Amino acid sequence: MTAAPTGTRTHPPRVTAARDLAAAAVLVAVLAVLPWTEWGNLRLLFTTLIWTTCSIAWNLVGGYAGQVSFGFAVFYGIGAYTAAVLITEAHVNPYLAFAGAALAAAAASLLVGIPTFRLRGPYFAIATIGINEAVRVVMNNMEAVGAASGYRVNEMVGGQRAPFVMAEHYLSMVVIFAVALLVSILVARSRFGLALTAIRDDEDAAADIGINAFQHKLAAHALAAALVGAAGGAYARYAAFIDPGGVFNFNNSVSILLMPVIGGLATVWGPIIGGAVYGIVQEELVARFSQIHLGLYGTLLILAILFEPGGVVGLMRRVWRALTGRRVQGGPVPARGVKA
Amino acid sequence: MSAAATPVRDPAHQVPVLEVRGLTRYFGGLAAVKDVDLQVPEGAIFGVIGPNGAGKTTLFSMVTGSLAPSAGRVFFRGRDVTGLKAFQRVRLGITRTHQIVRPFRSLTVIENVELATRYGRRPPGTAAEARRRAMEILEFVGLGAQAGLPASVLPVGQQKLLELARALATAPDLLLCDEICGGLTDAETREVMDLLRRIRASGTTILYIEHDMRAVMSVCDRIAVLNFGEKLAEGSPEEIQRNPAVIEAYLGRGAAGVDSDA
Ligand SMILES: Nc1ncnc2c1ncn2[C@@H]1O[C@H](COP(=O)(O)OP(=O)(O)O)[C@@H](O)[C@H]1O
Ligand SMILES: [Mg+2]
Repeated sequence: MTAAPTGTRTHPPRVTAARDLAAAAVLVAVLAVLPWTEWGNLRLLFTTLIWTTCSIAWNLVGGYAGQVSFGFAVFYGIGAYTAAVLITEAHVNPYLAFAGAALAAAAASLLVGIPTFRLRGPYFAIATIGINEAVRVVMNNMEAVGAASGYRVNEMVGGQRAPFVMAEHYLSMVVIFAVALLVSILVARSRFGLALTAIRDDEDAAADIGINAFQHKLAAHALAAALVGAAGGAYARYAAFIDPGGVFNFNNSVSILLMPVIGGLATVWGPIIGGAVYGIVQEELVARFSQIHLGLYGTLLILAILFEPGGVVGLMRRVWRALTGRRVQGGPVPARGVKA
Repeated sequence: MSAAATPVRDPAHQVPVLEVRGLTRYFGGLAAVKDVDLQVPEGAIFGVIGPNGAGKTTLFSMVTGSLAPSAGRVFFRGRDVTGLKAFQRVRLGITRTHQIVRPFRSLTVIENVELATRYGRRPPGTAAEARRRAMEILEFVGLGAQAGLPASVLPVGQQKLLELARALATAPDLLLCDEICGGLTDAETREVMDLLRRIRASGTTILYIEHDMRAVMSVCDRIAVLNFGEKLAEGSPEEIQRNPAVIEAYLGRGAAGVDSDA
């Protein structure tokens, strides 16, 4: 057998991962040096990195594994409160507090996933909506952390209130974003990531070749929750004040879902493009014209589903094909192909 | 046809690879499979035939674990596996193909097979080894040239071969093939029969559903006939072809349909 006609259209997985890793390294390096330059609005970039991290995380579950969650604000909020309490009450080092936030969110993801991932069809999506609202209501009444009036984060260093250093907040978020990006690239081409894709395509057929779909969905969900929890923790420390109506807001859950859909589901770069677009639009446009955002994202979503189900990445691939006549491997998943 | 001549040892003297006892499945009031007993000896190509809707696919789903029986037990090499999930049975060595093809459409042909090697009974140590093994299996079933294509673009006949390749990639001890020749030409069907003999020669026991009578009769050493969910008869191909109840229930109609089916 000659090897010539086989596999000519696919890159060996390692090459693709290496290319993505190289691009990721350049992006993270550029982000990391920005505080020492004149460029960049660090507050805007900080917020955008939070959104983008959540977008990357959601894509692991909703994009690769095809399990649509409307409940990621739960993990964001749990991460935010965990870090806030650890920093304020236990005087834990903020970076350890972010790790604690990630662990707490991952644990919470198991509580959500264990009862719902055994069910088929839209049960998971529906359950996440209910859980999001239930958790927000519970937190609204949780007197120990200020209930609806919120919780003030107080970081002490040597008996003094820690000074606010924007560059440090920003760099901590660059690190969390870099971890999310690395996880996403490694998952995309790993045995685990292929199995998630198989589960999205056909869960029963996946079981028929030995894949434990339940366990894989739980693992992807926990990984995603941990990343979102860490981002929530970084937000809590930066904002120094959090409340259930903010961090557990259902709108956050919807935004986290919209970004990867707009950018391109089940791709490495789609959620990043979606997150960047969202973060910038949110800060620049919505700050000036509030209330515009629901209509704006609704319109973007409808346009994406109607005209370019692969999102921005799908659109770019299509343009690339038109210009070069070549196909790119591993195109994004059509948004309408996702089981809700 | 020396490979086909592998003798089937007397089931009384050894534990069958597969045994089902009293296997039953209801869908609402309908008994799709009713009180079926089977013993599949080591090294057999064991045919399961019967008219459409007789319960053959339902029987397979209960053997592989994707469908829970309403009653009855499934034993794999003497071990009761009735309570195990499908993915656990794959790891013991029970794998099926699907009558209605179910490729992973977002993956390429070789990725479909590679994934099966990596989650099957004998996972390779490295990704490169998995890819090499997947390529071997694709060449074995005749899909070597399609390795890099998206699984979704294959014509249905090739998707059936992909089903076979993916199932083989899990290194099954017991392979259940559900109508893999649908959509294939006569010549291709003969090639698949040859593949089945080679798979059996390599030590895998095969349970085989097929509509094409000539195919079943040519390759199987033993055949069970299902009708309305019940086992109507069991025996060698010659015995089945002579059985009046079978001729009445199935061959009477099936024999007329052989040529148009194939
Ligand atoms: N999931 C299901 N729900 C309801 N009825 C089913 C289901 N699967 C099979 N059946 C019914 O069970 C009977 C046996 O079907 P099947 O096992 O597919 O037969 P065969 O493979 O022999 O053609 C048929 O009457 C079919 O309609
Ligand atoms: Mg059938």
